[in-house]
Amino acid sequence: MLPDDAVDRIAEGCRQIGALCKSQGIEQWEVVATQSYGHSIDIEAGKISLAAGGGEGGYGVRVVEGGRFGYAYLVDLASADYALQQARDIAKASPSVEGFVLPSEQTARKVGGLFDTNILNIGPEDLLEQADAILSEVASLDDRAVVTGGGLGVGASAGAIFTSEGIESSGVTTSHGIGVQVSIDANDELTSSYEGDSSRKKLKQVPDCVAVAVDWAQKTRGPIEVNTEAHDTPVLMTSEGFSPLFSMVVPSAVRGDRLVRDESFWSGKQGEIVLAEDLSLIDDGRMEGGKSASPRDGEGVPTRRQTLVENGRLIGSLWSTRDAAQQVAEGRIDHAQTNGCAVRGGHQSPPYTGCSDLQMTSTRTPSTQDSLLERMEDGYIVHSVMGAHTANPTSGDFSVTTSTLLRVEGGEILGPVKQAGLSGNLAKALSSEVYLGDDVRVQGSYSSGAMHLPDVLLMQGLRINPA
Amino acid sequence: MVMSASPNDEHKPSTGRYLNQSKIQSALDHAQDLGASYAEVRLMAITDSSVALRDAKLERAIPGQEVGVTLRILADGAWGVHSTTDLVSLPSQIESTVRLAKAVAARRSSKDKPVQLAEVPIFEDEIHWKSKKDVRHTDLQTKIEHLRTLHDSAADDDRIISVTCGWSDEHLHTELMTSEGMNRTWSFQRSLINASVTGRDGGEVVSYRTRHGGEGGLEVIEACDLGQLGEVARIATLRLLKAERAPSGKMPLIADRDLTGVYIHEALGHPCEADLVAAGDSCLDGKLGQTIGNDIVTVVDDPTIRGGYGAHPIDDEGLNTREKCLIKNGVLTEYLNHRETAHHFGLTPNAGARAQDGLHHPLVRMSNTLIQGGTHNDMDELMEDIEYGVYACGSRGGQVDTGRGSFQFAAQEAWLIENGELTRPLKDVSVSGLTLQILKDVDGLTRDAQLAAPGFCGKGQTVPVGDGGPIMRISQALVG
Repeated sequence: MLPDDAVDRIAEGCRQIGALCKSQGIEQWEVVATQSYGHSIDIEAGKISLAAGGGEGGYGVRVVEGGRFGYAYLVDLASADYALQQARDIAKASPSVEGFVLPSEQTARKVGGLFDTNILNIGPEDLLEQADAILSEVASLDDRAVVTGGGLGVGASAGAIFTSEGIESSGVTTSHGIGVQVSIDANDELTSSYEGDSSRKKLKQVPDCVAVAVDWAQKTRGPIEVNTEAHDTPVLMTSEGFSPLFSMVVPSAVRGDRLVRDESFWSGKQGEIVLAEDLSLIDDGRMEGGKSASPRDGEGVPTRRQTLVENGRLIGSLWSTRDAAQQVAEGRIDHAQTNGCAVRGGHQSPPYTGCSDLQMTSTRTPSTQDSLLERMEDGYIVHSVMGAHTANPTSGDFSVTTSTLLRVEGGEILGPVKQAGLSGNLAKALSSEVYLGDDVRVQGSYSSGAMHLPDVLLMQGLRINPA
Repeated sequence: MVMSASPNDEHKPSTGRYLNQSKIQSALDHAQDLGASYAEVRLMAITDSSVALRDAKLERAIPGQEVGVTLRILADGAWGVHSTTDLVSLPSQIESTVRLAKAVAARRSSKDKPVQLAEVPIFEDEIHWKSKKDVRHTDLQTKIEHLRTLHDSAADDDRIISVTCGWSDEHLHTELMTSEGMNRTWSFQRSLINASVTGRDGGEVVSYRTRHGGEGGLEVIEACDLGQLGEVARIATLRLLKAERAPSGKMPLIADRDLTGVYIHEALGHPCEADLVAAGDSCLDGKLGQTIGNDIVTVVDDPTIRGGYGAHPIDDEGLNTREKCLIKNGVLTEYLNHRETAHHFGLTPNAGARAQDGLHHPLVRMSNTLIQGGTHNDMDELMEDIEYGVYACGSRGGQVDTGRGSFQFAAQEAWLIENGELTRPLKDVSVSGLTLQILKDVDGLTRDAQLAAPGFCGKGQTVPVGDGGPIMRISQALVG
């Protein structure tokens, strides 16, 4: 899948563009390259519908002159000269940020578990066999169940960063992922559930998410009647249901620039209690096998594990080089500097501030689902939500819909509810009486931060509105 | 090396070709020699730029060029696909891609039908939708000036603590060659400007987003009164600072064109996509010809509406685009389809295939989707007999579960309707429902249907879309 010289070749491309920068007398420059290769299988209507392969990549170049930066990206090295000219022209039009310089070289320690040779050896035939195994497993679990959509894939991605400040780094990561939409369409009722799993390491032939998808398609059948009046209620959100809301709201709230610009619901609360006092938030850019972990961040700064909220108290924030310099220069904060939290959306994007592998933990002993239900007594279990992207990251307010929910009374599951609205403010809901489950699962993407979350019981702050 | 060999010349004229036609033709012939029943090469070259201003200062400007090409081969009734940024390597991928397709076919069970494609007219031509003001000739300073106009208007109040304005434009050039002899080249452009406004008053923080854009060049932005766009965003943000949380429950709802568009996109458009129907993942499976909505509801998807953000001259299988009437007076009349699903359902192909870029294969997608106008003269008429309800406007997005037929969309802001009049402003309003119920509950539409703000649709791939319609009333909607 990955050519033997893939890393060497993109590194050489970076050097060539770097040499061009030097020859043009550019003050500071940074060249990044990405090159990914992979195979994938699509599944539709209970069968393999397509097999695909290929590769893509390109270069991005950031120039900094007098605190002004410009950026451009390209595919073909032959157009590097033109891209550099564009980046320089943009830099001239950009405001100068006093104190903004590219980061200098610092030693970065390796992060384990980001590469698995076994993935490189997975070919299209192996993926087809895995797809067959998944389809067979679904049929064996429930002969009414069909994988109506989804697929699986493997990839290897080479990346490199070379800068005028002496950073020269390159490496390869691997990934293996699967997602299945399982539907049961019988007796004039269609229920479905989407589940997925992905890892830097080779997944097992039939990942657990397949059975979970069948299970939720089964247990949301035959909806029961419930009180349709909107009411405040405790809600046990599974990791899968909670993660989309959490990732929409929380990572942006701990960005340093948003905090000092009053754009976060936690602005002005540094050092204060913002979460339930047993909860902590940790962003670990060095997590072994982490989906977004790496020895260096998107601008070459060594990554670190940092506590953002400790025992409910906001004690940290995420910074990249330019955001830190800009907020200091504009007088919003006396001192800020990068803490290795620059991320990129590939070679087409200059670095910006973001999280990598974000965890929410509790000092309380994690609970089994049964004990969480016992604590909840009356309420709902919500396993997926629609419209999480419509949540307001500035305020934490959200109003979403779920068709994957179960009614709980007296700590026992009564049955599924066809549809309900779910609304509230996530910041407030997380500020007291939050109980975490004992099974942390990883949700989210490689590029925009992974969420490491268990099931979360929110006793306050949520309102349910059954249809 | 994958990314080294594109003839990526920013000065290439729009009528120029990236593909070496004789080599590609030989490759397509070779695919057929190896047993392919159909083979295509589709290249997309995108020249784009994005610019962002934060608090009136240039935050970033990113010009870029991408060339991607996808080889799609149908052999033994199954698909094999190869995508790459390296044009030169493409002919060498023919054999492996045919093998991929045959490997998929070999796993097909006896109950599954092989993939076949509906027949379509074959064209050899070029179609270029020319912009009046080519985006490739718009300089950075011009973009910054337009963004500043928008910013200055949106930021003109002490309670507005942040305004981020964005610009994006793109020139899209596509070449398609198929083993059937299709050889088409087409191009068009899109332009978009937007603002995200954050307001704070004490501990209350709110945000509001606005967008304007469409198919075309700089003229699309110049046609918009950016000062007014910013003013509307500013006033809405300030209003949200004083707004109450929305009531919850079932009640009459009036939606502005933005929300009407998102509603019809999510609630009807997605379930109408024939690939989802064929996959057993649509609540509209088997319902062609059936009444699924109130007889005042007529819905079209029309990529030929020039200026709409989802407009395009040719679909990504090389068919001339055309209007599709999805619902006519409440009756489901047409699925959106591509060649594979047209054959599967025995339908006429209606050019619904779109790919995100040159590195993705085409899926069935919407373009410009809108409900046609009704008989009410204005919003007052829609509102006059509502005792207690909600008027919701501006879209924060939506989502649908096509199989279950349930959907959700969220409004930027709203008002309470009491005794036929707008009273208090509301915030955090979302609406949910079931497609097959709520289409019947649409009981009022104003006459003037038109496209609203541009949007983006995600279905594994992201494509720009236009949505809209008239102002719409739903008799019973679940408001949250």
